Amino acid sequence: MDYLRVIWTVARKDLLIEMRTRERIAAMGAFVVLVGVLFNYSIDTAIVRPQEIAPGIIWMTIILGGLLGIGRTFHLEEEDGAFSGVLQTPIPLDALYLGKTAANLVILSLVTVLIFLVFGVFFGLSFGSHPFVLLAVVFHALLGFVGLTTLFSAMSARTTMGESLLPVLVFPLLVPMVIFGVSATSRLFAGRPLSEVAGSVRMLGAFAILSVGAGAMLFRHVVEE
Amino acid sequence: MPENRLQRTGIALAALGTLGAVLLLWMVFFWVPTERTLGIAQRIFYVHVPSAWIAFFAFGIVALCSGVYLWLRDERLDMAALAAAEGGMVFCTIMLLTGPLWARVSWGTWWTWEPRLVLTLLLWFVYFSYFLVRNATENPDQGKRFAAVVGIVGVLDIPLIHVSVTWMRSLHPQPVVLRPDGLSLDPDMFITLMVGLATATMLFLGLFLMRYTVECLKREVDQRRTGSRAAQGA
Repeated sequence: MDYLRVIWTVARKDLLIEMRTRERIAAMGAFVVLVGVLFNYSIDTAIVRPQEIAPGIIWMTIILGGLLGIGRTFHLEEEDGAFSGVLQTPIPLDALYLGKTAANLVILSLVTVLIFLVFGVFFGLSFGSHPFVLLAVVFHALLGFVGLTTLFSAMSARTTMGESLLPVLVFPLLVPMVIFGVSATSRLFAGRPLSEVAGSVRMLGAFAILSVGAGAMLFRHVVEE
Repeated sequence: MPENRLQRTGIALAALGTLGAVLLLWMVFFWVPTERTLGIAQRIFYVHVPSAWIAFFAFGIVALCSGVYLWLRDERLDMAALAAAEGGMVFCTIMLLTGPLWARVSWGTWWTWEPRLVLTLLLWFVYFSYFLVRNATENPDQGKRFAAVVGIVGVLDIPLIHVSVTWMRSLHPQPVVLRPDGLSLDPDMFITLMVGLATATMLFLGLFLMRYTVECLKREVDQRRTGSRAAQGA
């Protein structure tokens, strides 16, 4: 129970800071709305129906917006040298990682809700008749995404290249999330049978388990001094 | 010094690999029959496929050495991972160059979103990330740890990426060697492919051993330089 308490304490601390400063969520929120505007002008609606490519646009916006915010996970603590203080505490480092991942998952989930709402309004989307399945798809994909990006965010914060390194590290590994996320979402939007979505949900689940598991095991090697 | 033995072995393997490459070229241009449906362009198969196998084999070595390095912190494992990564990147690049050449002739396009090509391109970028993080830190030991983490996460994710991209429809020729119902390759073609694989393996191992030796010597020089600076300071 102490382990879970540590995870909760770390997550709560990050979420409290975010609630008070609204630094990341404001930037991510503004970013996703503006990206929606730009995507509208990047599509020739005489040739392509936005509804047909909406799932792809949505997932790319989630990835780009997510990188923007999650890339700064360790920024505040690194700036003031506070992270060294965190490392001196006797908490398990994998619990620290899971706490940070949980906080990032909450933040990115809020931004994802905004993305679906905004794109639904901008492009007149229908989200299908299986909202809980859509929720499962999004949850698994986001969990895998934050698992990987939290780990690599800790790494990039400690390099001379900083946040500019994060997309190079993470993008090759996000291909399963994009493929299965877009596939499942487009089938749900199109009202296809759930049997066509089940495989994608399983693969996204495997992606999430792999990402978070690898992150928890390897985080200590990234942050040790 | 053990490095001398490794270096000599590396040079010998590289020399054998070079001879093998000459033999392979002769076999490809003059001996092996032309494939009935894919035509003369198919002969690039004997360079393309062995390069692919070595690229993935090398990455496996990178991941294994990286994992054990994080556990034991033995510098030799880090050096082995680095040497394997450099060799693997060479063969990965060869595969990425020969693939589009074959695609251009066979399918009329330089690039298709064909699963194996995409997987190789992503693998190349994982290798690229490995070198990028390694050199992007002020503390070299930190760079080694970061590179090891990239190697391990890469190898865990590569099978998932493979399933993902293969799940989509593929233009790529279907497997003819590693098939559940056995080999479907002409015997002469199989022999040529095996010569290609042996050549690529010897070249990779030769490069690996030579690079490992160079890295050993480099670190020894760095250590002596640090030691003499400390002595002068004292």
